[in-house]
Amino acid sequence: MGEIGRLSQLIIPFFGYNITINLKVVAMTWLVFGLLIVLGLFARHKRSILPRPIQALGELIVSLLYDLTEDALGKELAQKYAPLVCALFMFLLLSNWLGIIPHLEEPTRDLNTTFGLGLIGFFIAHYAGIKTKGFKAYSKEYFQPIFFMMPLNLIGELAKIVSISFRLFGNILGGSIIILVVSYLTLSLVLPPFLYAFFGLFVGTIQAFVFTMLTVVYISVQVK
Amino acid sequence: MEFEVETVIKIAAYGGGGIAMGLGAIGAAVGQGYTAAKANLAASRNPKISGDIFKNMLVGQAIAESASIFALVITILLLFVRPPSPGLLDAAAYLGAGLCMGFGAIGSGIGAGNPGGEACFGLSRQPEAGSQLTTNMLIGSAVCQTPAIFAMVVALMLIFIKFGGAALTPTWAALVGAGLSTGLAAIGSGYGGGLAAGASCEGIARTPQAVTSVTTLMLIGQAVAQTPSIFGLLISFILMFKSFPESSLLMTPMALLGAGLCMGFGGIGPGIGNGMAAEGAVRWVARNVEHTSDLMRIMLVGQAVSQSTAIYSMVISLVLIFVV
Repeated sequence: MGEIGRLSQLIIPFFGYNITINLKVVAMTWLVFGLLIVLGLFARHKRSILPRPIQALGELIVSLLYDLTEDALGKELAQKYAPLVCALFMFLLLSNWLGIIPHLEEPTRDLNTTFGLGLIGFFIAHYAGIKTKGFKAYSKEYFQPIFFMMPLNLIGELAKIVSISFRLFGNILGGSIIILVVSYLTLSLVLPPFLYAFFGLFVGTIQAFVFTMLTVVYISVQVK
Repeated sequence: MEFEVETVIKIAAYGGGGIAMGLGAIGAAVGQGYTAAKANLAASRNPKISGDIFKNMLVGQAIAESASIFALVITILLLFVRPPSPGLLDAAAYLGAGLCMGFGAIGSGIGAGNPGGEACFGLSRQPEAGSQLTTNMLIGSAVCQTPAIFAMVVALMLIFIKFGGAALTPTWAALVGAGLSTGLAAIGSGYGGGLAAGASCEGIARTPQAVTSVTTLMLIGQAVAQTPSIFGLLISFILMFKSFPESSLLMTPMALLGAGLCMGFGGIGPGIGNGMAAEGAVRWVARNVEHTSDLMRIMLVGQAVSQSTAIYSMVISLVLIFVV
């Protein structure tokens, strides 16, 4: 059971600091990138009016996510942010599904991945807010309802990054820990495939969707 | 009277196991009863489809049961798993695991009864929307188990990770506090998520065409309602993995225990409140689909305000851990 909490790390000394790289997570992230690029190339290869299955799949994903973004942000901003939303959702979906293949690991099981994605969403949301409202109106919101609420409003904003990244991380890590323990207790008989289906496919899909939607919603709250 | 280490571990494990299963039995039973009551109402409204309602009720109850099954698993582990190299910290970790899972199963159990019941009732109102209702019920009640899953993860970590090397005196309190933080904070979030899921089943039965907006809003509402339990998870992780220097003062362990209690109790109210906000928004999106974005914005702002007390608790917990 020593596998809970074990990581393969590469530690590089750098002027007195140690740079730590989680090798397996990086490898898995690149694997997901590769799969996404291959999927994208196949989807746009030999495009035609009568789409082949893979082109139809690509169009389906893009149009669904585009509509979702448009509902939340309106037509103008959707054109700008829909590519980001599509990329985020597909990356998360493939990442969360990766764990059902033996010997592969979800990159989202590492807090660094989810925290990074949360930071990206946070900065984009605030950039969009400043850009549409102007810096003055944007910074005024922190002093609502009274000026001394400023520190708490600030902490509340920062807590959003914590909650969005820990939600994904906790669900994926939790699923994998439960699978590990149950497989160990039942000697890998009968139960694990169902658990993989539940935590990998079902929870993975829902959490990818929730993360993406929350990012969109954070942008829309800042913009309006 | 001096106890041997093994005896202390056994005391903690049996006590923890009893707490886990005893408290863990509360939630699911209440939730299942609610589902059954709603199913009876539904069947008397529309007796022609009582077979479908009965089937739906059983499926809903089976999902509501899962929180208690998590508690059962943890209890069995506590009763039969023993550490290879026993130390006094294992006793604290076992007690923490029991508390964590016991409290953590309450909210999700009660909450998951809501979508089951509302789906049965919706079935009697709108039998054609049956498959959409069942799908939505499954998604809603599965997501509402997330706080219980967090509690189970923390309990499993407490049972299986070896804390042997850490300093005994403040760390025992940190481990018990870690269990209390996630366990208590999961109560509110689990129940709140259930409220949102129930409202979405009711809404779909009213307006089956609105299913996409309703399900999306339900997922967002539940996700935000889970935030207090995520703060609880964060505090638990810090308490489990930060190494505390040895100290003979009584104050240090008390501060760590207090941090767990503070985040745990502080998370209950915001979880339920956020669930209520989501419930209201989801229920009315079905009646007023064209104003989804307004409803969503009001829901999110309202949730953010009601969340602020959870943030105060988190700040105080962090102060207790790092400053005091």
